[in-house]
Amino acid sequence: MKSISEKSATSRQALALLIPVFKRFRLRLFLGFSALLGVDFLQLIVPKILKKGIDSLADQSASPHTLFLLAALVLGIAACVALLRFVWRILIIGFSRILEKRLRVQLFTHLVRMDRSFYHRWSPGSLMAHAGNDLAAVQMACGMGMVAAADALVMSTASIGFMLAIDARLTLLALLPMPLLALSTWILSTKMHLHFSRVQEQFGRLTEFARNALVSISLVKGYCLEGAQERKFSELGRTYVRNNLRVAILQGLLHPMATLAGNIGMLLVLYFGGKMVIEAGMSLGSFVAFITYLAMLIWPMMAVGWVANLAQRGLTSLRRIATLLAEQPSLEDGMKTRIHRHPQAPWIRCDNLSFTYPGGKRPALYSINTAWFTGIYGIAGRSGSGKSTLCRLIVRLYPIDTGMLFLGGEDINQYSVAAIRKEFAYVGEQTALFSDTIYNNISFGLEGASKQQVETAAKAAAIHEYIIGLDMGYDAKVGEQGVKLSGGQRQRIALARALLSNRRILIIDNGLSALDVSTEQEVITNIRRQYQNRLVLLVSHRVNLLSRTREIILLDQGKIVAVGDHASLYATGGLYTTMVDKQQDHA
Amino acid sequence: MHNYGYTEDGKVGSLLDLRLWKRILTLCRSFVPGFIGAVLLSLILTVATLGMPRLMQVGIDGFMHGGSLSPEARISGLGRVAWEYAILIGLVFGAGFFQVVLLEWIGQMIMHRLRNRLFHHILGLKVRFFQQQPTGKLVTRLTNDIQNMHEMFTSVLVTLFNDLLKLTGILVALYLMNVRLAMLMTFFLPASLAVTLVFSRLARERFRAIRRQLARLNSFMQEAVANMAIVQIYGRRQKIVDEYTALCDGYLQRTFAQIRLFAGFFPLTEFMSALAVALILWYGGGEVLHKQLSLGQLVAFLSYMRLFFQPLRELSQKYSIVQSAMASAERIFQVLDTDEVLPVLKPVYRPKSIRGEVRFADVCFSYGKDAPVLRDLTFTLAPGKVSALVGSTGSGKSTLAGLLVRFYDPDTGRIFLDNVDLRRYPLPVLRTLVGIIMQEVFLLPDTVRENITAGADISDEEIDILARATGLAELLRRLPDGLNTVIGEGGVELSAGEKQLIAFVRVLAKKPGLLIFDEATAAIDTEGENILERAVEQGFHDRTVLVIAHRLSTVKRADHILVMDRGRIVEQGTHTELIKKNGIYAGLVRLDLHGDRE
Repeated sequence: MKSISEKSATSRQALALLIPVFKRFRLRLFLGFSALLGVDFLQLIVPKILKKGIDSLADQSASPHTLFLLAALVLGIAACVALLRFVWRILIIGFSRILEKRLRVQLFTHLVRMDRSFYHRWSPGSLMAHAGNDLAAVQMACGMGMVAAADALVMSTASIGFMLAIDARLTLLALLPMPLLALSTWILSTKMHLHFSRVQEQFGRLTEFARNALVSISLVKGYCLEGAQERKFSELGRTYVRNNLRVAILQGLLHPMATLAGNIGMLLVLYFGGKMVIEAGMSLGSFVAFITYLAMLIWPMMAVGWVANLAQRGLTSLRRIATLLAEQPSLEDGMKTRIHRHPQAPWIRCDNLSFTYPGGKRPALYSINTAWFTGIYGIAGRSGSGKSTLCRLIVRLYPIDTGMLFLGGEDINQYSVAAIRKEFAYVGEQTALFSDTIYNNISFGLEGASKQQVETAAKAAAIHEYIIGLDMGYDAKVGEQGVKLSGGQRQRIALARALLSNRRILIIDNGLSALDVSTEQEVITNIRRQYQNRLVLLVSHRVNLLSRTREIILLDQGKIVAVGDHASLYATGGLYTTMVDKQQDHA
Repeated sequence: MHNYGYTEDGKVGSLLDLRLWKRILTLCRSFVPGFIGAVLLSLILTVATLGMPRLMQVGIDGFMHGGSLSPEARISGLGRVAWEYAILIGLVFGAGFFQVVLLEWIGQMIMHRLRNRLFHHILGLKVRFFQQQPTGKLVTRLTNDIQNMHEMFTSVLVTLFNDLLKLTGILVALYLMNVRLAMLMTFFLPASLAVTLVFSRLARERFRAIRRQLARLNSFMQEAVANMAIVQIYGRRQKIVDEYTALCDGYLQRTFAQIRLFAGFFPLTEFMSALAVALILWYGGGEVLHKQLSLGQLVAFLSYMRLFFQPLRELSQKYSIVQSAMASAERIFQVLDTDEVLPVLKPVYRPKSIRGEVRFADVCFSYGKDAPVLRDLTFTLAPGKVSALVGSTGSGKSTLAGLLVRFYDPDTGRIFLDNVDLRRYPLPVLRTLVGIIMQEVFLLPDTVRENITAGADISDEEIDILARATGLAELLRRLPDGLNTVIGEGGVELSAGEKQLIAFVRVLAKKPGLLIFDEATAAIDTEGENILERAVEQGFHDRTVLVIAHRLSTVKRADHILVMDRGRIVEQGTHTELIKKNGIYAGLVRLDLHGDRE
C-alpha cells in the first residue's frame, strides 16, 4: 500500500508546524546563537594574535615577556571558546531534540485519532518510517544544520573580511575555487543521499529476505530449497555491494574535493602572495595570517553544500509529516453524545446496508437487512463473505451513509464517534494484545478497574486458572520477552478484556475460534449469563456455538442468504446444513 | 537444552582477543594485494599531506624571507615550490579518491562472501537449532553484525594505519626541526589519548541507552498502530498517548545526556589544541629569539599541530567501531562454529520412488532436556493406505511427523522407510519422496508458480491438472495474473484457506510416495475441509497417507487409526473396532476430537 497522498502539504504549511516551537523557545535559541557567534568571533581573533607574534619575531621586537603575554591571551580566549561551545551545543542541539520530541508526540496523538480508512491508505511500515527517518531529518536540519548554517555564514564573512583587509586581490585569487567547491558539495551530497537511500532499501530487502527464509526454514528444508535461496540471497547481496560502491565513489570524490579546493587556494596564495611579499613588501606576518584565514574558510565552504542538502531533506521530511498531520478522520461526529435506546427498538438495525471498502471495486456488503434485539445472535458464512466487515461497520471503524445503520432506533450518524464506542466491546480473531503484563492487557478494557473486577472477568473468560498458574501470575508479560501464549489463551485474554469493559453490546468476531470444545461451552455460558439483558453478536464457524444463539444470519458474498435459528436453518438444506453435517459428521 | 550463548546487549568485543583477530584476518586473505594497494595509497597520501606545510616553510624561509637572493631568483624559486605544491595537491586528491573506493570494494567483497557463507551455514543447520534461536537474532547476524564488521574494514583498518603513520610522520618532522619543542608537543599524545578513551567509553554507554530507548519507542508505536482499532473501541486513546509521551521523555533525557557529553568533549579537545598553539608561540618564539628555530619552522610547527589533533579526535569514533565490530565478529563466528548438521549413514540409498511403508522401532525423542515427547514408539504404516493419528494436546503427533521428514533424529530407536533406515536417505532425496503439509503454512513472497514448483521442474500443464483437481483453478481465475501473481508481502494478500490450498498443491506437485498431512484447525472454513478428501480421491488412493487428524470425518475414512497419548501409541485399529473398545479413542470421539485446539 503506497502512502503517497494526492494532496501533499506545501512548504509553508510544513514550516508552520515549526513556528510555535521556535516561538516558545526563542530565548533559548537567542542565547545559543549568541554563544555560537561569540565562538566565531573569538576564533577569528586568534590568527591576529599569531600574526602579531610572528611579525614581532620577524622584526625582532619580540621579548620572552611579550611572547608569554600573547600565549596567555591565546589560552584565555581558548577557555572562553570552550565554555561558549559547551553552551551552544546544549542550547541549540538540545532545542532540536525538544523539537523532535514535540513533533513525535504530535504525530502520535494525531495517529490515535485516525480511523480505519486512514490506516488503509498509510501502511504501518510507512508510518514507522515517518516517525523514524523523517523526524530524524527534521531534527538534523534544525540542530546541526542550523548551527552549521550560522557558523558557515559568520566564519566565511569574517574570514573573507579579514582577508580583504590584508589584500583584496589576493583574496579574490584565494576564493577562486570556493564557489566550485560549494556547488560540487551540494550536487554530490544530494546525489549521495539518493544513492544512500538505495543502499538502505536494498539492505531492507536483504534483511527481509533472510528473515523470510529463516522463518520458513521448515519449508526451505522440506523442499530442499537451500540452493535456490542461497542464489537469490547472493544476488541481492551483489546488488547491495554495487549500490554501496556507487556511494563510495561519490564519497571518494566529496571529501578530497574539499581538500582540493582549499589546497588550490593555498597554492594560489603561496605563489602570488609569496610574490607580493618579495616584490610589494607585504609583511610575512600578514602572509601567515592570510593562510590561516584561508584554512578557516575551507570548512564553511564545505558546510554550505552540506547545509543545503540537510535543509532540503529536512524540508521534504517536514512536508511529509505535515501531509500526515493534515489528514482528517473520515468519520464525522454526530451531535448526540449519549445513546438512548427507544423502548421496543432493536439495539441494532441494518436497513439496506451496503458498503464498499475505500479503494475497493466490489461491495463487501450488499443490501443487508436485519435487526438485533436482546440476546446472543450468530453470524455465519464462508471466509470473505462479509462477516467481519459487518462487525467493523457496527463499531464505527468506517464511515457509512445515513439511513443504513441504526443504533437504539437512531441513525448511527447522529451520534458522536466517542459515544458509539462506549457502547461496544470487541474481540477479534487476530487478538490485539500489548507487550505488557497480562493484568494491564485485561484492565485495558476499563479505566480504573479494580483487581477484583479484573479477576472476575478473567474467570468468566476461563483464563484465571491458567494465569495464576504462571510464575509471575497476572504480572507475567505477554509477548516476545514474556510468556508464550497459544492462540486460545490470547483469545481468552482479549475476551476477559471485553467482559471487563462491560459494554452494552459485545461483538465477538470469530474471537473464540481457537478454544477447545469444553472451554468454548464454559465461556459461552458465562457470556450468556453476563449479557442476559444485552446484545451479543457472535461470528463463528462453530456449529456448537451457533446452535446456542437466538438467531443466525448466514452471509454469502456480502449478502444475507438465510436467517433463522439453528434448527430452522439446518432444515433449509443449504450452506448451513452442509456446515453442520461436516462438523457433526451426520454423513 | 543447548544454550548458544548469544547475548545481544552488554557484550563488548575485547580488542586484544588475538584468536578473534586471527580469524578476522583470515577473511581478508584473498584480498592481500588490495590491502597492499590501499596501504601504498595511504603512504602517498600521508607523505603528500605532510609535505605541504614543509613546502610552505621552504617558500617562506628560502624565498620570501631569505634576503641574499635577487628578487628574480626568489620569484622563480617560489614558482618551483608552487609547482611542487601543485603536484602534491594532485596526489592527495587522486590517492584519497582511489583509497576510499578500493577500501569500500575490499570491505564489501569480504562481507559479501562472509554473508553468503553464513547464510549457507545457517540453512544447513538442524531444525532444532532454529527452535532454540529467535529468528530475529539470526537475521541480525546476517545483516547488522556483518554491516558492523564492514565498517571496521573500510573505515578503520587502513585509516588506523594511515593515522598512526601520519602521527609518526608529524613527530619525526617535529623532532627534526627542534627536539625540545617536539618533546613538549609529544606530551599531548598520552593526554589526548586518555581523554579520547574515556570519552569513547562514556559515549558508547550513552549511545546504547539511546538506541535501547528508541527501540522501545518504536515497538510501542508499531504495536499501537497495529492495535489502533482496539485502542479506539475501548476509548483508551489518552492512556496510549500518555504512555508514548513518557517514552518520548525518556528518549529526550537520554539524548540530552549524550549532548552534554559531546558538549564537554569537543571543546576540551579544541582547548588542548589551543594549548599547543600557545606553547609553540611562547616556547617556540623564545627558541626563535635564541636562534634555535627559524621563523619558517615556527610556522610549520603551528601547521603540524593542526594536523596532529585531527587523527586523535577521530580515534574515539574508530575505537567504538572496532569494539562493536569485534563483538559482531564473535557472534558471527559462534554461529559458524555451530556444527549441528544431520549425518547421512552409509551406504547411501537413493531410490527413484518408494512404496511408502513406514516402521518405527522403539523410537524415543525429547526436545533437549525436557521430558520425553515420544517413548518407545513402535508401529507400522501399511503402504498405500490412509492412516490417521489422533490424540490430545502435547501427545507428540506433530513431533512424529517431523521425525518422518528428518527435521529431527530420534534419541534412540530407528525409523525405517521401505525397510531402509531413514538416515541412509540423503536429505534432498528423502524430502522429495516424503511430502508434508504443515499446520502453519509458509509461502515465499514470490509468484504462485514459484510457490508451487518450489524450484523443481514442473510444467504448467501438470500444475493445471492439479489445479483443476483441487479447486486451485478457481483461485487462479480470481488472481490478477494467474500463476504469475506475486503473493505475500508487497503482492496479493491471500486468506488462510487460499494459502493452505497453494501449500497443498505444492506438495501434490512433488508426487511424494508418502504424504503427511497435519490437518489445519480452526482457521480453515468448511470449504477448506474438502481439500484433503478431494486429494485422497484424486490420485492418492494408492499411496501412503498419514493424517494428523482433528476432524471426525477424516478419521472415520482412514483405513487405520493410531491413538497417541503422552508419547505412546495406546490404541490402534479401525473406527468401529476402537469405538467398540470404548477406550481413549471413544472418549475423544465424544469430545468431537477437538481436544487439541490449543
